[in-house]
Amino acid sequence: MRALLLGAWLRAGRGLPRAPGSGRRHREHRGHSGHSEHRPQAPLRQKVSVEVLQHLEHLALVDFRDAEGVERLQKAIQFADQLHEVNTDGVEPMDSVLEDRCLYLREDDVTEGNCTKELLENAREKVEEYFVAPPGNIPLPKLEEQETFLQGSQ
Amino acid sequence: MMTSFGKCMMGNIISLVKRSTSLLPYRSMTQLGMAIRARGEARNPRVGTRPFAQRSTRPPAAPHDSMAGAAGPGRAPGSGWGSGSGSGRVAPSPHSAQPGGPRSQWAAAFLAALPMVPRGVAPRWRRVAAVPGEGQELSGGREEEGTGRESHAARFSPPGEWGLSACRGCRGAGRVRKVTGFLLRSPFPGRPGRARPVRSFPQRGWRFLPVPPRRGLWRPAALNGGLRSQVSAALKEGRVAPTELCQRCLALIKSTKFLNAYITVAEETAMKQAEESEERYKRGQPLGILDGIPIAVKDNFNTVGIETTCASNMLKGYISPYNATVVQKLLDQGAVLLGKTNLDEFAMGSGSTDGVFGPVRNPWSYSKQYKEKSGPKSHPEDEESNWVITGGSSGGSAAAVAAFTCFAALGSDTGGSTRNPAAHCGVVGLKPTYGLISRHGLIPLVNSMDVPGILTRCVDDAAVLLGSLAGHDPKDSTTIQDDFMPFELLNLADVSKLSIGIPKEYHAPGLSSEILALWSKAADLFKNAGAKVVEVSLPHTPYSIVCYHVLCTAEVASNMARFDGLEYGHRSDMKDSTESLYAATRREGFNDVVRGRILSGNYFLLKQNYEKYFVKAQKVRRLIANDFVKVFRSGVDILLTPTTLRDAAPYTEFIQEDNRTRSAQDDILTQAANMAGLPAISVPTALSERGLPVGLQFIGRSFQEKQLLTVAKWFEKQVQFPLIQLEEVKRHDSDVFQHQKSASFS
Amino acid sequence: MAALVAVAARGCGGLWRRARQRGAGQSGPGPGPFPRGQRGVACNARGGAVPAGKSGLAPWVPVVGLEIHAQISSNSKLFSGSQVQFAAPPNSLVSFFDASLPGTLPVLNRRCVEAAVMTGLALNCSINKKSLFDRKHYFYADLPAGYQITQQRVPIAVNGSLSYSLCIDSKMSQMVTKTVRIKQIQLEQDSGKSLHDDTRSQTLVDLNRAGVGLMEVVMEPDMCCGEEAAAAVRELQLILQTLGSSQAVMAEGQLRVDANVSVHHPGEPYGVRTEVKNINSIRFLAKAIDYEIQRQIEELENGGTILNETRAFDSKLGCTVPMRDKEGKQDYRFMPEPNLPPLILYDAKSLPANMNHQQVINIDWIHERLPDLPSVKRKKLVEQYGILPEHSFTLLNEEGLAEFFESVVKQTQMKPKKVIGWILKDLLSYLKQHSLTVKESPVSSFVLADLLNLLEKKEISSTAAKQVLAELWKGEGKTPLEIVKEQKLELLQDQKELEQICQAVIDGHKNEVMAIKAGNPKVLNKLIGLVQKKTQGRSNPVLVKQLLEKKLSG
Repeated sequence: MRALLLGAWLRAGRGLPRAPGSGRRHREHRGHSGHSEHRPQAPLRQKVSVEVLQHLEHLALVDFRDAEGVERLQKAIQFADQLHEVNTDGVEPMDSVLEDRCLYLREDDVTEGNCTKELLENAREKVEEYFVAPPGNIPLPKLEEQETFLQGSQ
Repeated sequence: MMTSFGKCMMGNIISLVKRSTSLLPYRSMTQLGMAIRARGEARNPRVGTRPFAQRSTRPPAAPHDSMAGAAGPGRAPGSGWGSGSGSGRVAPSPHSAQPGGPRSQWAAAFLAALPMVPRGVAPRWRRVAAVPGEGQELSGGREEEGTGRESHAARFSPPGEWGLSACRGCRGAGRVRKVTGFLLRSPFPGRPGRARPVRSFPQRGWRFLPVPPRRGLWRPAALNGGLRSQVSAALKEGRVAPTELCQRCLALIKSTKFLNAYITVAEETAMKQAEESEERYKRGQPLGILDGIPIAVKDNFNTVGIETTCASNMLKGYISPYNATVVQKLLDQGAVLLGKTNLDEFAMGSGSTDGVFGPVRNPWSYSKQYKEKSGPKSHPEDEESNWVITGGSSGGSAAAVAAFTCFAALGSDTGGSTRNPAAHCGVVGLKPTYGLISRHGLIPLVNSMDVPGILTRCVDDAAVLLGSLAGHDPKDSTTIQDDFMPFELLNLADVSKLSIGIPKEYHAPGLSSEILALWSKAADLFKNAGAKVVEVSLPHTPYSIVCYHVLCTAEVASNMARFDGLEYGHRSDMKDSTESLYAATRREGFNDVVRGRILSGNYFLLKQNYEKYFVKAQKVRRLIANDFVKVFRSGVDILLTPTTLRDAAPYTEFIQEDNRTRSAQDDILTQAANMAGLPAISVPTALSERGLPVGLQFIGRSFQEKQLLTVAKWFEKQVQFPLIQLEEVKRHDSDVFQHQKSASFS
Repeated sequence: MAALVAVAARGCGGLWRRARQRGAGQSGPGPGPFPRGQRGVACNARGGAVPAGKSGLAPWVPVVGLEIHAQISSNSKLFSGSQVQFAAPPNSLVSFFDASLPGTLPVLNRRCVEAAVMTGLALNCSINKKSLFDRKHYFYADLPAGYQITQQRVPIAVNGSLSYSLCIDSKMSQMVTKTVRIKQIQLEQDSGKSLHDDTRSQTLVDLNRAGVGLMEVVMEPDMCCGEEAAAAVRELQLILQTLGSSQAVMAEGQLRVDANVSVHHPGEPYGVRTEVKNINSIRFLAKAIDYEIQRQIEELENGGTILNETRAFDSKLGCTVPMRDKEGKQDYRFMPEPNLPPLILYDAKSLPANMNHQQVINIDWIHERLPDLPSVKRKKLVEQYGILPEHSFTLLNEEGLAEFFESVVKQTQMKPKKVIGWILKDLLSYLKQHSLTVKESPVSSFVLADLLNLLEKKEISSTAAKQVLAELWKGEGKTPLEIVKEQKLELLQDQKELEQICQAVIDGHKNEVMAIKAGNPKVLNKLIGLVQKKTQGRSNPVLVKQLLEKKLSG
């Protein structure tokens, strides 16, 4: 085997190592491994509509709280858009690395349960032996009625 | 060359000399030479230190270097295996053949760091038996012992009883027996004569020393491997008691509280477990190697009776009714659970800075090596602002191990959360193959990529822990059903059959030049040792971080849906409706990072976006995994890559970027292994120009941990990573320290 | 509400027209596939040519699809080891996984998979050898994890069919067999129960039921009215009970049906559908569907639109009401369940050599051991005993009745066709009256056979037999023979005595005799009745008739 001057190669580097700095985005790191030319930045996405934002808040029951939250989402989407550069024709999606192993089956025996006390210990509110929730599901008020950040952004 | 413990003993003797009124004559030149050498070493501090719990009368100790027996002559602290020198030449350690190695060093340092308070011995002797290295008053230089003596002296093990020692070879051959305070050695075969008292120095004055009870006496044990042969052996032989070990660790934890490595310290339960372990040792029935060993666990593992918070307001005060499988396995083998360590909230982050209990400080921020490099004068204020992060998200576990507060710690690894802090804190971080260790009880971040991670100070210990934790768990359907055989790591003699792959895409922009140089040196190391080193390509590596981003946020969105406050955890006072209760609880319980990921994840899972993002990311994941398969199929055994782009950043610099950007940057090199479910290990390699540790990563084939760890062990032995020299922190509460130090001797 | 009336004219091809309620005194609809009453007539295949509706509008074609959740009959839950039991103290059958404590993981129960495979084979589905689990996300108090584990992408069984029969007319004489396609069968988790306490404005959550295994059977929208749906569900219920994969008792919530209803004009695409939930019995199912169809027709004819919403059936009012006010669509954000690798099933060909047999489910092995399905059983009954198909339905509808019938037939010389009458009319009506099951019947098959033997041997008359039966219901342990002797119900065997009595009657009623001779044969019955009276019912009416005729003619 011919000796590989890996040291030299590594030092030469395919792309010039950038000085570690702040404010870098991973998008700018794509200057190697086949994509040696700098690709133009992905076109700036259209902003996510308020309806979608409200829909997300409602589905996730988590609110954006402020502009930074929305901005975070925008950036996340923009970041994820880089996926579309990869050609995945004919590739099957991978759910898990164990997809070739088959599922463990358990025998139909009763092995758990009867731990009401332990379960209720951690619940902040309980009534006798039930967990307690407010009457529900009354849907969250409509956008016009609620005082969220999103209302101001319309 | 004397072993480090020989030196330790020397130190004891020297202090005794100091104390006693008469100068004890040395019996031979050997003894004198040894004394002088020890004095010299005391003068020139090398690696190894005695960090905390000092005697009050002692000034802050010079790092006691007698532990660094294998460090070799003439090595300046922190130098040696490339600290940014870029010399390009790897000097193999001249002492690599010695039994003492990096493992020895840390173990010795640890054990030596802890004050020895033998019980049942008169106070006078106790004072005398102080921490070695006190012979600073003596002058003299260092001398090399003649090589003729080397082999015998090298086997010279520290005394099991005071002042009485015999070489391990003799002991092992059974030629030594104890008679009323003496060790007598029978004559060598072929040599006539009667049993003679074993020569030790100085004998006069020690001859009639009462033999203190084995229990409670603590001496650094023979150095040849970490848990397995050192501490475990010490426990078995009764040279140290589990309760003492536990007490020392708890004391250390208290004194290193400023590191913020621990969220919960379970003192009572730990002592109780230590006492039970002691009982077992007394009966001669220890449960295994891990019996009595103090271990810390990351706070996203469920533990009965100990709070499990995930560093989040959502689970503050949550006490789980069941133990995680890995925790249960450790407890079943007698390990002592010291407490739960700090992390990023729900393990989301790469700096251990985003939890509600505050950030974790890297112990290396308080190391001599870092302080020397960061500037000559370090004022307390500078110290406060200069400290560096541990990396994340298992930063607390890494800091706990690095600061000697425990022997091993459990972390979790989803995108590099074990390897990243391991590299930054100078410890070994192992990510096993997905499906090898049970995840039951590990609060999940990304179910399809999470694995429990192992943080230890040497590769041998990682193998020990892996052996105790791996195997099928019927409670976790993602563990493989094949039988797992625990293995012992053998020393790799012949590297020539190995094929090391260097993936070129891991030369990512942002990789610091010193790490690049280290990587190159490591490759050359293997090449020079005869291994086949090839460049390989993993073309989809640049997309792994994007892919991870989508899959991670989607799974997070799903996994966090259970936190609604009804059955456990934080619950808001909102009573209007179920939905408003949920919304309020989640708003109050989660921090911005978690909430941001939940929202992004839900966005990617929307019906209109599912194919575009989630399925696409799954396809890219397959491409990434196939890259590895191709590379391994082409004959490569192990991949060698850097673990991090740079050494640990200062906290003030780190927090300027937001969590997602940081994670995206820091996980680049580690996270593809999680995508493909492959085992990977980060081995501390050298110190950077700033005096901070840098690690290199090995990635192996699925379920081939034995091969991976064998190579890592070989590499570890070659690089001889220096020990941290923890200095006493000059803080405003240093008085408290002093008080603590003296208190521990009473 | 008169407007609620929905009576289809016969042979209208499944169309609904408004019509006045047909007469009064309609009895309430009964159970089974032959519900009588207002909806008296089943709808036939769709698409027949139809006259225009009352208001001259084009006719409507209703479309009904069903989603049936059947609770799997197993000891432990689908993904955890806690017990499955109907009534238990609250939150006592809940494991850590069911309460969604963080860090817990699902482990699949083998028995549930077998049950689903059996059901799939019974419904002629093709079983997917590799099926996957997914998460379906929505927030609700009784769903602790915030998601439900189900099979959305690749369920365990697909593309089957279910044949069911129903009566076309109210006389139950004509039965027609229909088929509904089964889209898929999937395994999924059940949710807990929430009890709404309106007085204190809170909801109490009981997780005993959370995590129990369910089989969701999705039927294609091939049905067109409530009756068909009810018949299909009834058949499915029988199949599940025969297989043992589910006890399928709707009252205990082991079988839950949601109906998707829409209407459209023939030739046009399907209309907007609504989902009707909260249906507690088969009877209510038919009612709810019919009401919903009617409501939709009215709404559309009035120019309104149908919202794609979920409605609940209010059994007291007999109508559907909107359940959840949905602003915007519900998006379940399905995601693959990462904690469960694919479920692999094997057949005889693909069976792996060295696998632990406890980890392997062999479809062919299960197929061989399937019990006879109801349709097969019915066919056998009809062939073997020569009974009518309708009778076979009734026999199988009642648990244990078919076995009872068969054992009676074995022990008696009476023809099965006659036995069936006794079983269905007398025995069954008595059981229904007293709400007893066949098992609890005080009259055992042996005893009934005894009685029927007596009847067959003509030792007693049928009226006497009925009397004996009434006595036997008391369950005092007497044999029929004893009762007969006690009450002196034996038929008169003595021919001569009978003749004498006949003669006496003839002599005593000359007018009637003359009337008979004049050509009014019906008066003979009166004479027979008189003879019966005289003999205290102990005469064989057939014999009496013969004798009288002989005498009168002679």
